[in-house]
Amino acid sequence: MRNVKAIFIKQAKDMIKNPMVLIQFIIYPVVALVMTELVVKSSEYIPANMFITMMAGIFVGMALVTSTAAVIAEDMERKSLRFLIMAGVKPHEYLAGIGGFLLCAGAVVSVVFGLIGNFTGMEFAKFLTVMIMTIAASIMLGATIGILAKNQQAATAISMPVAMIFGFAPMIASFNRTVEKVADILYTQQLNVIVNDFSANFAKAILVIVVNMTVLLIFFVIAYKKKGLKSG
Amino acid sequence: MIKLNNIVKHFGEQVVLSDVTFEVKEREIFGLLGPSGAGKTTIINILTHQLEADSGIHEIGATSFETGLMLDEDGLYVRLNCIENLNIFADIYGIPRKKTLETLKSVGLENAAKKSVGKLSRGMRQRLALARAILHEPKVLFLDEPSSGLDPETARGIHKLIFNLRDKGATVFLTTHNMEEAVKLCNCVALLHKGVIIEQGAPGEICERHNAVKTVPDLESVFIKLTGAELV
Ligand SMILES: Nc1ncnc2c1ncn2[C@@H]1O[C@H](COP(=O)(O)OP(=O)(O)OP(=O)(O)O)[C@@H](O)[C@H]1O
Ligand SMILES: [Mg+2]
Repeated sequence: MRNVKAIFIKQAKDMIKNPMVLIQFIIYPVVALVMTELVVKSSEYIPANMFITMMAGIFVGMALVTSTAAVIAEDMERKSLRFLIMAGVKPHEYLAGIGGFLLCAGAVVSVVFGLIGNFTGMEFAKFLTVMIMTIAASIMLGATIGILAKNQQAATAISMPVAMIFGFAPMIASFNRTVEKVADILYTQQLNVIVNDFSANFAKAILVIVVNMTVLLIFFVIAYKKKGLKSG
Repeated sequence: MIKLNNIVKHFGEQVVLSDVTFEVKEREIFGLLGPSGAGKTTIINILTHQLEADSGIHEIGATSFETGLMLDEDGLYVRLNCIENLNIFADIYGIPRKKTLETLKSVGLENAAKKSVGKLSRGMRQRLALARAILHEPKVLFLDEPSSGLDPETARGIHKLIFNLRDKGATVFLTTHNMEEAVKLCNCVALLHKGVIIEQGAPGEICERHNAVKTVPDLESVFIKLTGAELV
């Protein structure tokens, strides 16, 4: 536990000083706030949660995938991880520290989104539940990419297009029926569905998200078993 | 304290270590000498379990907790400052954080404690890497070219520190291609060439054996005599 905590603190300090990662945790809620205040509140025709849905989806699908991948790939590329391992940190402790921190940071951002949306009671609870579950799914996806990438540059090159699919599929789905059908199996689309309309089928959304998490976990375990964290 | 017996290591077709046997006694400063590409770093990587040898036996009389390591790739967190870098490891080793400042002082970095690693000079960075290696007062210390690329004064500072550590009971295993440094620093050296140890012993004795004692023992000419090769 001591090791996990040390990595958690390291990641917290590092993120504050890493504008490339930090900006992604700030920009999406800020855009959601500005658009909600400026556009939604001055028009009757735009759904109240439209920009929260959109930005929360992009945050989960893009920001978390790319930053998890970048952090892990960078620690391997710069050989920082090797010194942690030499000091007795187990690979799973490292991953728990990094993933745990990003999950917490993501949860804080989720609360901010919730406040911007003025969610209360059951809505807020539903919102936080799907946010945290989908954030966990994105962290697993990002970690898989981070492990497989040879370096940070490769991690960004791979995670960008993957994250685009997960981040933007829900938005495209809202314009195109066919895309919507396909996107329905993605966890980010379920996030979108719930936040758009809290009376939507919650059980189905949770089920799809859990299936996504299971599949991503399997991918992660395969990548981890195959490549480990040793390339660093 | 450290033993290697008939260590063999290939990288693909290339035989890097064909049959390496030597021993390092407790509380000694041991220098592994050889030209660039001889396999010095490879030996450190094998001893510290970062690489597996193809065959042969090796052992260290210390656990990984009692081992300190400084490699040419320092793995420091570039966005964090000196203190923060060391604190991560203080937390992992479970040693009080006030020890980090003490250790920084011992390498002469107390005035740069709050400077981020990315802004340090090469010599300062090297000293910080050394500070991280000695933070937990290891029994065995591996230093891969501890003074390469440093100005004479900084190098002298590092030499003094290595003597201090030995006097406090540490066993130091270092690599270098600087013969002068080896003569000055080491109780015992081994010359690695073409995958085998071609000579070993106290620097003075080796030089006497090969009639290379001028005013100062001249290991360099011994090496050239034995191999016909210039050191890089
Ligand atoms: N992971 C690796 N894969 C393939 N070849 C490698 C690998 N690591 C080292 N080598 C090769 O093994 C040889 C020895 O490398 P090593 O780094 O041990 O040399 P060295 O004595 O430390 O050199 P230097 O003084 O330049 O640091 C080199 O020819 C190098 O190219
Ligand atoms: Mg080397």
